[in-house]
Amino acid sequence: MPESVSNITAQMPRAKLAGLLLFFLGPAVAIYTLFSIYPLVATMALSTYTSDPSGGRHFVGLANFETLLGDALWSKPFWNAFSNNLIFFAVHMCVQNPIGIALAGLLSLPGLRLKGLYRTVMFLPTMLSVVIVGFSWNLILSPLWGVAAGALKAVGLGSLFAPWLGLESSALVTLALISVWQFVGIPMMLIYAALLNIPEELIDAARVDGLGHFRIFLHIKLPLVLPTISLVSVLTFVANFNAFDLIYSVKGALAGPNFATDILGTFFYRTFFGNQLQLGNPTMGSAVATVMFFIILVGLCLYLFLVQRRIRRYAF
Amino acid sequence: MADLRIEHLNKRYGVTTVLNDINLNIEDGEFVVLVGPSGCGKSTLLRMIAGLDGASGGDIHIAGKLVNTLAPAERGIAMVFQSYALYPHMNVRKNMTFGLKFTGVRPAERERRVTEAARMLRLEELLERYPRDLSGGQRQRVAIGRAIVREPAVFLFDEPLSNLDAALRVSTRVEIANLHRLLKSTIVYVTHDQVEAMTLADRIVVMNRGCIEQVGRPLDLYYAPANLFVAGFIGSPAMNFFEARVKSVEGGRACVAGPGFRSLDLPAGHLKIGDALTVGIRPEHLAQGEDGPLAVEGVVELVERLGESSFAYLRRDDGRLFVAEIRGRQTPPPGERVTLTAAARDVHVFDASGLRIATPNDV
Repeated sequence: MPESVSNITAQMPRAKLAGLLLFFLGPAVAIYTLFSIYPLVATMALSTYTSDPSGGRHFVGLANFETLLGDALWSKPFWNAFSNNLIFFAVHMCVQNPIGIALAGLLSLPGLRLKGLYRTVMFLPTMLSVVIVGFSWNLILSPLWGVAAGALKAVGLGSLFAPWLGLESSALVTLALISVWQFVGIPMMLIYAALLNIPEELIDAARVDGLGHFRIFLHIKLPLVLPTISLVSVLTFVANFNAFDLIYSVKGALAGPNFATDILGTFFYRTFFGNQLQLGNPTMGSAVATVMFFIILVGLCLYLFLVQRRIRRYAF
Repeated sequence: MADLRIEHLNKRYGVTTVLNDINLNIEDGEFVVLVGPSGCGKSTLLRMIAGLDGASGGDIHIAGKLVNTLAPAERGIAMVFQSYALYPHMNVRKNMTFGLKFTGVRPAERERRVTEAARMLRLEELLERYPRDLSGGQRQRVAIGRAIVREPAVFLFDEPLSNLDAALRVSTRVEIANLHRLLKSTIVYVTHDQVEAMTLADRIVVMNRGCIEQVGRPLDLYYAPANLFVAGFIGSPAMNFFEARVKSVEGGRACVAGPGFRSLDLPAGHLKIGDALTVGIRPEHLAQGEDGPLAVEGVVELVERLGESSFAYLRRDDGRLFVAEIRGRQTPPPGERVTLTAAARDVHVFDASGLRIATPNDV
């Protein structure tokens, strides 16, 4: 019988073991520290300073956070961005993920032709650059030269058209739906892969039990891919609360109209780097980034403790 | 309770023919085992009876009703799968009642059936458990229970024992046999294991390359295989085959001879001098001795000792290997030249096309 690894390491001289650990773990730890841990800690540290007009920095403790959450000049845009972000996330959860699940369910139907084609076409937008997607949709939805107005008119629904991206009431949801259009391929692919994992005999057993395709999906497939669906939800949550690029490429850093599409990412960008008349403020920006980090951390903890524990993965 | 009638059933995938003109009548209450090597189409046939696969041609009648276009649940069948296919997210009770919910069985009736089946299969203790907490044998019983509560006309079993270990396989086999005695229902059972086929079946259907080779009672297949395939497939170790020719035909008797063995008399029938034949003898029918109408000689190469008997692998002078079962403790040492004989009633003769030639001992 071969010796177990723990036995071998236990008999090693301390120095040799340290060398071994360094050799195997060192590179990963070094890279992770350099690119993930150090920037995070540095950002948090920076958020406890303030800079005076001469360029000097002074330690101020949590004063930046007090300003951010207490001073109306800061807290109003912050809470506006936060609630916009919640809406942005809600649209993804209510539209992107159900559609992704439905598409995956359709793709996994037995006897479907051109499966590969559908899969590729629906995943294609995900591979496009956000800038291209943002620019294209800006053109499509433009009331001046966009095709949307003409397309609606052609099917007799011309009266429904509105400059959605320009209205405060609809701009945020429109942007969220553009994002949904682009990224629906990801939940689709992940859930499709999970569906493929369900053994064929289980589906046969359900057919013998008298279930049709829809009921099989609802009662058998869906409960079995629940772990993947919850994983997709977490990915959506993290991606949405870190989102920036689509808003920036469609609406610019000001996230108009009248900050209606401002989310935490764009709010952070303006704070940290400055925009037009607003001066960049790295220490305040770091405070915003730190708050964003904790929002995501709290969300993930809630998920891990409330949801993840109750979900069981099934081995087939 | 129902009979099952299959007429001219075909299954093709593109240009490959999986099943070719299958005709089979299964009577009410009969236990029929489909057996054959992998890829012979036995599982496909079972899935087509279940309605999981469509037919390319032909009819299936269950209880006198044409079921070709009916969904699996409407055919009055229940199926036990090789992997058991229990729903992993439901406990045993839900696994068993799940299908009944969708076929309009009332809750009280569902409960009665589950209790009944659980008692029969000793599952009472396990009803609230999940499949992941069950052993292979317990899962197997749940899968059978799920089939029983459907109260089907025909039970379909798809290699149900192949995922169990050897000991459990034997005990579950006995349980299935008991169950059949108790329920008196029609059962179609697919396996590649000929011991299962021989022990369980009222009738065995031997399949090969999408065709039925022979249908018969277990001992009929053993003592009177219809052709070379069945002769070689049923029995373990496989039957020995020797090439032979008709040496002379005289007075209604044909004298058969071949390299390595002495001689054999057959009723002449249509045989002519020079006809090529295959002579088959099972290893267990070869005995050491000088007497008997047929004797083969060989040098012992290897002896496998199983305890109650041993298998000797012998090489003939023409280089071909054959196997003999030797009872008792005394086994010939490797290298020894042995002459083995077989009684006339244990000799099978097949013509050039592989079909059995009747011997006087045939029943």
